[in-house]
Amino acid sequence: MAKKITIDPVSRIEGHLKIVVEVENGRVKDAWSSGTMARGFEALLTGKDPRDASFVTSRFCGVCYSVHQLASARALDAAFGARVPWGGNLIRNLVMGAEYIYDHPLHFYQLSALDYIDVMAVAEYKGKDKDLLAVRDKIVGLVKAKDTYPLTPRYEPDEFTVKDPEIVISAVKHYIDALKMHSQARNMGAIWGGRTPHYQNIVVGGVTSYPDLNQIARFRTMLDKQKRFIEDVYIPDVLAFGTGPLWPLATMGVGGGHYNYLSYGDFALDPEGKKVVFPAGIIIGLNPANIKVKPVNTEKISESVKYAWYKENKPVHPYSGEQVFDLEKKDAYSFVKAPRYEGKPMEVGPLARMIVAKNPDVLSLVEKGAKPGAVARHAARAIETKLMVDACYTWLDQLQTEMTKPGFKIHDTEHWEPPQTGMGAGFHEAPRGGLGHWIKIKNKKIENYQAVVPSTWNASPRCENGTRGQYEESLIGAPVPDPENPINVVRIVRSFDPCLACAIHLIDPKTNEIRKFIIE
Amino acid sequence: MGEGNILGKELLKELELCGLNRRDFLKYCSLTAAILGLSELEFVTKVAEALESPSKKPIVIWIEGQACAGCTIALAQISYPSAASIILDKISLRYHHTIMAAAGDVAEKAYHDAVKQGGYLLVVEGSIPSADDRFHMGGGMPFRQRLEESAKNSNAILAVGACSAFGGIPRATPSKGISVSEALKRAGITKPVVNISTCPVHPDHLAGTILYVLVTGKIPELDSKGRPSMYFGDARLLHDNCRRRGHFDAGEFLTDWNDPKQKDWCLFQKGCKGPVAYIDCGIRRWNDGINFCLDCGGLCQACGDPVFYDKVAPLYTAESEISKKIWAMREDTKSKKDQV
Repeated sequence: MAKKITIDPVSRIEGHLKIVVEVENGRVKDAWSSGTMARGFEALLTGKDPRDASFVTSRFCGVCYSVHQLASARALDAAFGARVPWGGNLIRNLVMGAEYIYDHPLHFYQLSALDYIDVMAVAEYKGKDKDLLAVRDKIVGLVKAKDTYPLTPRYEPDEFTVKDPEIVISAVKHYIDALKMHSQARNMGAIWGGRTPHYQNIVVGGVTSYPDLNQIARFRTMLDKQKRFIEDVYIPDVLAFGTGPLWPLATMGVGGGHYNYLSYGDFALDPEGKKVVFPAGIIIGLNPANIKVKPVNTEKISESVKYAWYKENKPVHPYSGEQVFDLEKKDAYSFVKAPRYEGKPMEVGPLARMIVAKNPDVLSLVEKGAKPGAVARHAARAIETKLMVDACYTWLDQLQTEMTKPGFKIHDTEHWEPPQTGMGAGFHEAPRGGLGHWIKIKNKKIENYQAVVPSTWNASPRCENGTRGQYEESLIGAPVPDPENPINVVRIVRSFDPCLACAIHLIDPKTNEIRKFIIE
Repeated sequence: MGEGNILGKELLKELELCGLNRRDFLKYCSLTAAILGLSELEFVTKVAEALESPSKKPIVIWIEGQACAGCTIALAQISYPSAASIILDKISLRYHHTIMAAAGDVAEKAYHDAVKQGGYLLVVEGSIPSADDRFHMGGGMPFRQRLEESAKNSNAILAVGACSAFGGIPRATPSKGISVSEALKRAGITKPVVNISTCPVHPDHLAGTILYVLVTGKIPELDSKGRPSMYFGDARLLHDNCRRRGHFDAGEFLTDWNDPKQKDWCLFQKGCKGPVAYIDCGIRRWNDGINFCLDCGGLCQACGDPVFYDKVAPLYTAESEISKKIWAMREDTKSKKDQV
């Protein structure tokens, strides 16, 4: 008999997410993904000076904060007619590169690792490594003091959980090391970003941070250290887990989903954007033996609100998005809307980017038998972190050359004042995936503002024809032998690196309509 | 000096694990001791005691309302002492849904057990929707209810970040986010609340306040807005400590970020609200002192003050009501000076 399991909250993610799964014969038969918190950022932005948008939308999310600052600034660049000088784009790329370098390892160690290792196995460590013994003593000390929070309570380890004390203890050590590296990577971004979370230097037309050579040297020195951690610790850990104990999960393709992928493309390596770190492309119904990538046409994006707590409306392009909260709506179960490309749900994020790019490292894993799914997402994330490290060195060299030329610029000052009317879209490949912001300006003020963020794509509920969102579809068939211990469900959902606060920010700009649903 | 006696072997091992040597630790202690008005020896002894008795770790519950998790990331960014050592060694973190291993019912049980036990430090990130409870549900209950029940059994509450301290950006949205103090007032609950504002919370302010509570068992002295006086308040006006202040007084305002000559000029005309920001950012800076808003050519938007966000908008011009007031104050001071 089918049994419904509710996981609320799904922890170790950004934001507030509820997952309901129906389990029959030890497998997930159906799934529902619900975003359970909303603020309503668009209403706040309506009527404001358009330049406020990059600052305010940064607060969609404090984990991937500046991705919105950048996408928003790019939408404003388009609407203002601003042309960002190459120097400005280099600095934008570098601070976002720093964000990838902290964000991806943080996701693996702090947000995911506890799903795959039995932390308590460290007590069995018999080796002589001084650092690892210190880790063992620390954890054993917590156990003896009968206080192992927040490492416990937890879902119980299952047959896929790594219990080998040697592997577990080094993973726990790296969990602690990664926190230190995380803090230093953020400091690297702050060299031009000003501070973290929430950079302060990205504005319409470019950046505010005029660089000097000392800063370049400082960034490079810090990058050297990050590179060593990523190459010597992070990537080997992910590959050791993925091709070792987790290989059965990888070859089963647990957490696959719809096999549709979208990447807007981003991170130019030259002023004309001829070479980029992440190419753009669409894949519908992946065939790993013959990957067909089509060009992206953002006009084909629409958002459905059929199962979301917004007033009934047909699917529309984000420019014309009109949403009013309807908290009484029958059949609705999420604050997240359902974006679709040509009516189809898409996965965005590292796996989508690496498949669209036909990355050789990812393809070689596929050749060995790995299928796109939860484990592949972790691998793709690690592989692209390395690409970003390499790109940062390129941008540092370019910035060093550029800034010593006469007439060096970081900002289009001539297009600083808001236009009377205008509209623009801004796209960015954020660590969690493709991100788009759309703005309409009237009388120098924001008339309408919409964002379709990575987790809106991935965490979306069903759309008009009842097709499941990507989280939901990826859960179908997942093994759940014990309904009390749905550890595979959270493994799959976390492999996407959910970010729910970002995904829910929408509301109709017409204040008179808003009042209708507000219960005073 | 007898440092070895104070810093026991266990503690030294732990510090080493956090990447701190004895010298770093003592330097850190002497600085903090000075802030707290304690003798260095007394402070080191107290900290050593607090750190070496893990079984007595104070219980902390961290709940997230209408938040962006930026304050959680600020927690993860704390360097001195490291975030890992705070989370694993100094506190017993019973509930924090971005960090904890557990999910769903297992997580909720840990939460309810801790609330039942009582006597914990409650940390709140994010605002509380006042327009309708359904704007934020979690674990089967409205966030408002979670705040009220966890506040009742707490010893003290830290409202971290602009949203929980004063309503922040959500205050201006249709969900009408309100601060922790306001939500508790409406529910008739009286508890000491420390507002550690800024968007997000400054990692040093968070670490320092937690350490203060751990060391003294009390909440720090607060300013008129309920913020720790050691970081905020009348004595900490950013404008007074701004390295661009001379240019403000001289009327030299940056208009072009491309011009190296203007690089250090005052950012007022671009929309800086430093003259109404009562915070120590200018001296403390951010990210272990590497930078802060004004030193990347960015602006202060007084994110640690109750005026943030709705009253400081528009952000990137000098046309807000607040900017006009700042200008009027400047003109007033200038004319008085001219008379002298």
